[in-house]
Amino acid sequence: MTDKILIVDDEQDFLDIISDRLTARDMNVSTASSAKDAIKQIEEDSFDAVVLDLMMPEMDGLETLKIMKEKNPDLQVILLTGHATVEKGIEAMKLGAMDLIEKPADLATIVDRIKRAKTEKIILVEKKSEKRIREILTRKGW
Amino acid sequence: MSNMIDPLGEAGLQFYSKVSASISHEIKNSLAVLNESAGYLEDVTLMAKKGMEINMERLESLAGTMLKQVQRTNGIVTNMNRLAHSLDDPASQVDLNALLELMISLSERTTVTRGFKVSAAFSDSAITITTHPFFLENLIWLILDFAMNITGDEKTIAMVPTKTESGAEINFTGLDKMTENAFNDFLTQHVRLILAALHCTLQPNENIGKITLHVPGNITHPVQ
Repeated sequence: MTDKILIVDDEQDFLDIISDRLTARDMNVSTASSAKDAIKQIEEDSFDAVVLDLMMPEMDGLETLKIMKEKNPDLQVILLTGHATVEKGIEAMKLGAMDLIEKPADLATIVDRIKRAKTEKIILVEKKSEKRIREILTRKGW
Repeated sequence: MSNMIDPLGEAGLQFYSKVSASISHEIKNSLAVLNESAGYLEDVTLMAKKGMEINMERLESLAGTMLKQVQRTNGIVTNMNRLAHSLDDPASQVDLNALLELMISLSERTTVTRGFKVSAAFSDSAITITTHPFFLENLIWLILDFAMNITGDEKTIAMVPTKTESGAEINFTGLDKMTENAFNDFLTQHVRLILAALHCTLQPNENIGKITLHVPGNITHPVQ
């Protein structure tokens, strides 16, 4: 099954090239050049992973991550950053980021993290389904 | 330990490190685009080796992108170099237009990230003064940082330099939410020390949301 991902970065050139390269690797890529647009897209669609730039105009990556997680706690978010400080990294993990990658990143690393994110999402979905089935079984007394 | 730190030097270092962090972020962004471009060329080479058709138009546009990023990085490094050299002499001749242009470039990432727009109405002719360029840059950085907390809803700050009898002045406008208290809070020890070192004065006008920075024509012979 194709990986469905959303890349969020205010660098349009970066978005154009990385989406071409990931599409060539059989991924279904959507892009957003602002946090506002990214939040809108996650409200309207479902993604296996979101690759999010930490430093963006108007709303930074951490704030965006927080809103995204509030809207969809199962969303797997990989943060990309030009200058990761330890503090920012810890804050990102506390807010529920799956990983933090420093720019410029090797595409193989990004692809690997996207695959891991998808696996993580499948596990979470399976756990939720199992819980729901157990609840139904208990309620119905079967 | 803190008693051993020279406050003026500390203010300068804080400014320099903030600019360096912002610049390194910009360079990293540019490098990320160049890195992906090189990766794209690798992908295309592999595809060509397998006999797949090459999209020449895409390659042409990629070359344009790479060139644009090299020019962008060169601009960033040139500005960093100008800032670094502004510490060379304690007093040197500068054109305020050029200095403000440099400050707009150096602060762009910070201001844009916070959703602000900083502009300058440059004078047609050079406004030449003799000052300590680094500390004047530091002072303008601090004023812009303060200004971002007190602008109106338009989030726009304008800088207007003009020549005066005693030297020059820079008007910072768009500070619609400035109050007397906010301005007094801005006058920290660092700001006061820089103002004294540069023989500059700051004059707020809360009614029209403006701060005027008066700069002497020659720091080595300031008019008292």
